[in-house]
Amino acid sequence: MFKKILIANRGEIALRVIRAARDLGIASVAVYSDADRNSLHVVLADEAYNIGPAPSKESYLNVDNIIAAVKKSGADAVHPGYGFLSENAAFAEALQKEGIVFIGPTPANIRAMGDKLSAIKLMREADVPTTPGSGGPVDTIEEAKKVIAKIGLPIIIKATAGGGGKGMRVVTKAEDLESAFRAAKSEGMNYFKNDTVYIERYVQNPKHIEVQVFGDTHGNVCHLFERECSIQRRHQKIIEESPSPSVTPEIRARLGEVSVRAAKAINYIGAGTFEFIFDNVTKEFYFMEMNTRLQVEHPITEMVTGIDLVQEQIMVALGKPLSFKQSDVVQRGHAIEARICAEDPETFMPSPGLIRRCRHPQGPFIRVDSYAYPGYEVPIYYDPMIAKLIAYGPNRDTAIRRLDRALTEFTLTGIKTNIVLHKSILQAPKFLDGSYTTQFCEKDLQIKMPKLFQVVDDHVFLIAAAIAAYNEKKTKAVSEYNVASRWKDQARKEGLR
Amino acid sequence: MFFEASLRGKQYKVDITETRRAWKINLQEEDADWVKYEISKEDYKLVENAINLIFNGGSYLMDVFGSGIDYTVYTRSSVRNVTIFNDEALLHESLKKGGALGAADKLTAGMPGKIVKIMVGKGDVVAANQPILIMEAMKMENEMRASHETKIKDILVKPGDSVESGQTMITFEPVSKKS
Repeated sequence: MFKKILIANRGEIALRVIRAARDLGIASVAVYSDADRNSLHVVLADEAYNIGPAPSKESYLNVDNIIAAVKKSGADAVHPGYGFLSENAAFAEALQKEGIVFIGPTPANIRAMGDKLSAIKLMREADVPTTPGSGGPVDTIEEAKKVIAKIGLPIIIKATAGGGGKGMRVVTKAEDLESAFRAAKSEGMNYFKNDTVYIERYVQNPKHIEVQVFGDTHGNVCHLFERECSIQRRHQKIIEESPSPSVTPEIRARLGEVSVRAAKAINYIGAGTFEFIFDNVTKEFYFMEMNTRLQVEHPITEMVTGIDLVQEQIMVALGKPLSFKQSDVVQRGHAIEARICAEDPETFMPSPGLIRRCRHPQGPFIRVDSYAYPGYEVPIYYDPMIAKLIAYGPNRDTAIRRLDRALTEFTLTGIKTNIVLHKSILQAPKFLDGSYTTQFCEKDLQIKMPKLFQVVDDHVFLIAAAIAAYNEKKTKAVSEYNVASRWKDQARKEGLR
Repeated sequence: MFFEASLRGKQYKVDITETRRAWKINLQEEDADWVKYEISKEDYKLVENAINLIFNGGSYLMDVFGSGIDYTVYTRSSVRNVTIFNDEALLHESLKKGGALGAADKLTAGMPGKIVKIMVGKGDVVAANQPILIMEAMKMENEMRASHETKIKDILVKPGDSVESGQTMITFEPVSKKS
């Protein structure tokens, strides 16, 4: 067993790893930047070391400083959490060189999946479905027609240099091909000085479905079923659930089988996630990318499978075989996670600052992974996610109701949070019937937003503010009076004697 | 005590009286009738600097902070900014409005952050909606644009600077019409 694990991360995930270590009787070491001296992971760890100034580049991404802290603390393993250095092969190698265990996949695993295009190539070779398309540049209309004959409509024409919606054209009818092809090419030339285009099948009603996998050093690979993470804003997930309401038992079996095959093809070790884009019309799924680390949303998998993923990561890093066989892994009930972020719920602008009040929800079937506390100042330097709220139920409806109950209990003041956004999403018909797609926040929610956020009558706010203003004015008036009339006061007191 | 208040773009008149037993609060939304509320002191309790309020059959824990004219009110995962003017504040505001550009004579930081890029120079005339600067806060870059045509009078920050909430970054002056 490891004696001491250093967590090269901050926020709620650092707490998650500290807890797993403590469950196993392992001491934990926190590292922190200058901005995080008062952060909760520093308070809860057994030891803590400063690794540099506030900006991530100079602290949480500074390999030399982290390795110096590992040596100083005498930790024998490092858990990278997610983000920061978790998918940095050079960091994993640097630790190896020092004889320190990196709790995660091998550097070769990280490299194989790190480059998107080479990852897709590897997956194709392993017979994993990838988005059908031209597979390379398409120069003429004739070539484009040939591609369509092979993959069918609808398709999307993309400029290789494109981005931000520019140089992209969707073709649903054959007669639109010519004009769309020209438009994509000329936009590519106008905006990016490159008119090379390629063609892919256009995924209708796209959903984000991912599969958790786990491999060990003995050649065992299991999957832990799927998670759906289609509720996103600014391409960042905000609500995840397991199982997905759109995945049938047959598709589920195929997703699992494909993901285990894919992980075996690269000799994957540790926790990893295969992300697929899922066409909710055709029910086909295509590989997008693999995350070679623990995911933010791992708790929903823990809730439905009963497996402690972080503990399992530590055991695999020790060289132990997986504690379960594929047939032991059962998806039981339903779990949903809401990411609580310090941001404006309408504009999604970050809202760092001082937390005045903080009361976490409690009660049955609720899990809160949070690093918020009253008096804590959420720094401007890092991710705005401050807590994850996870609800479990025997079925989807119960899990949704419990999540809604917990959101109602969650009090966080002083900063803006997206708690009301979550409450609004939980009332949206498209969320409730499970037909939501990755376009949900843009298309299905925004129309109704102003009304959705009005859960409390404006008069309540006005009254509270008026009382506060009255009290302030009154106190001020009293103190001014006191200063001005000290002589009078004295005279009064004299008179009362 | 009499106030004028604004909330989500709506103007209100507020008349508030405190007695030993109750708060008497009358509210009037623009062009609407006065609405009268009386809240017993039994229904108004202070706990850890928050107002524990029972109002119209609803129970609210209200966190109110701010001072002067700007108040922020939190309850039930909702937050509203309320501006409250009393006679003194009203006078102050009307004096400020007498200036050439009113409140928009400067660009201030809405939150603490770091200046990434400044796209204008001193003396430039910028059109409405033209990008002025990019500020980074919490891993996100926010582009700030001009709300109307104006001239850059002075630039008080440079790329790389950290700014505090409310700090003035750029000042404007009216565009001279003769050119």
